Amino acid sequence: GSWCPAPLCRGRALPRPPPGPACAVGRPLRWASSFSQPGPTESDPSEGQVFLSESCVKRLLEITEGSEFLRLQVEGGGCSGFQYKFSLDTVINPDDRQGQRGGARVVVDVDSLAFVKGSMVDFSQELICSSFQVVSNPQAEKGCSCGTSFSVKF
Amino acid sequence: MLVRAGAAAAAAAATTVPGLRRLWRGGGSGAAACFPLGRALVDVRGAEAAPFLQGLLTNDVTRLVAGDGPPAGALPRALYAHALNVQGRCLYDVILYRLHESPEEEPHILLECDGGVLDAIQKHMKLYKIRRKVNIAPCLDLSLWAVVPGERAGDIASSLTKCADQALILTPDPRTEVMGWRLITKKGVNLSEIIPGSRIGNIQDYHRHRYKQGVPEGVKDLPPGVALPLESNLAYMNGISFTKGCYIGQELTARTHHMGVIRKRLLPVHFSAPLPKDSIPEGAEISTESGKSAGKFRAGGGELGIALLRLANINEPLCLNLAGDKVKLTAGIPEWWPKTASK
Repeated sequence: GSWCPAPLCRGRALPRPPPGPACAVGRPLRWASSFSQPGPTESDPSEGQVFLSESCVKRLLEITEGSEFLRLQVEGGGCSGFQYKFSLDTVINPDDRQGQRGGARVVVDVDSLAFVKGSMVDFSQELICSSFQVVSNPQAEKGCSCGTSFSVKF
Repeated sequence: MLVRAGAAAAAAAATTVPGLRRLWRGGGSGAAACFPLGRALVDVRGAEAAPFLQGLLTNDVTRLVAGDGPPAGALPRALYAHALNVQGRCLYDVILYRLHESPEEEPHILLECDGGVLDAIQKHMKLYKIRRKVNIAPCLDLSLWAVVPGERAGDIASSLTKCADQALILTPDPRTEVMGWRLITKKGVNLSEIIPGSRIGNIQDYHRHRYKQGVPEGVKDLPPGVALPLESNLAYMNGISFTKGCYIGQELTARTHHMGVIRKRLLPVHFSAPLPKDSIPEGAEISTESGKSAGKFRAGGGELGIALLRLANINEPLCLNLAGDKVKLTAGIPEWWPKTASK
């Protein structure tokens, strides 16, 4: 299989989660969030939005300090064509869009948002690893085995 | 700006012009020839040029680009690679050339590809660019040449390093020694000012040389979406790294390498009689004398070509099935394949 590293861009590294129980089957995923553009201009609903799961919110509240938020970017490359990149960041740019739920924030730049709109960001805890994941991406087709890379339905 | 290839430049201090002239004098099969290539060049530059290409190509771009590692003088100037599709099939065969000298400069890479896919490969790269700090543009003011030694070529390396400022790049072909050197110049330059005494060869001779040696190049030899990288001898041609991170199409390729056996490869074939131009459909069946399927014809011209053949059958007499006729052919293992590659 392929090796999919998850390098972080700016900000500090995502802290290692404590060893936890194996992922619970049938975990309820209720999501509701407001997704908006920071600043005075109106956000364009056609740009789409990203949802946060309960476990994502819980984990972010545990690990973020001060003005930190979770940044999600999409990059070209990776086994299937595109890959998700998560990092902790503090700087918001004019072309960012942000979503918040329960005090946790996720920020996506408008170019990456085109690839992940309608998706949910989840914090998944498995025996083998725990990580932030993009799940149920309506744009994505088959992906790579580790879940970091995806290809896009045209 | 003259860019010299690696160690050969340092060793060439004693090269004299008469030595070079002796190598080049007199045409025919002995001398080396310069072939103007019908391949396109794409300019890829920007701070993220290397990581951008790293996610798209089979080879390790960090071998080419000066980082914190060895000084720029020790790094190769050219790198061979394929861009694959998500299913792991070949899309484009490319050669990368590093134009910048040191890590302090903005990375500037030239990408050589089949002339017919210039638009397609730019579209492919722009699709995956997203927010990367990289600029992609066709390079229309440079010429690309292959410098191929003839049968009697002597120490071509030291002779060729004596060249004028108008060669932007002069470097050994990264695929195999038998392909000689790659030369990039400004368009319209007089070749004999760069390589005194050189002669310009007929491009058909270049293709004949490739088919004789079994070196595939371009979309006819490597049909996009059809050819498989390992069957196309990408590993023998130094075009793939099995220790680098993810790139498009890596999963199938890595799995085949680590777990699979490669039973078929592209091999040079020689027909008993020259075939009329463009008369062979790509994919025409090749079989053994007893009628068992041994592979498929891929591309060629005259009495030479390359075919995808089962390694188990290459020492038998074979024939091509062409509209009812059977044309005899023989296949051979190229001399430049690694010696352990007999199977």
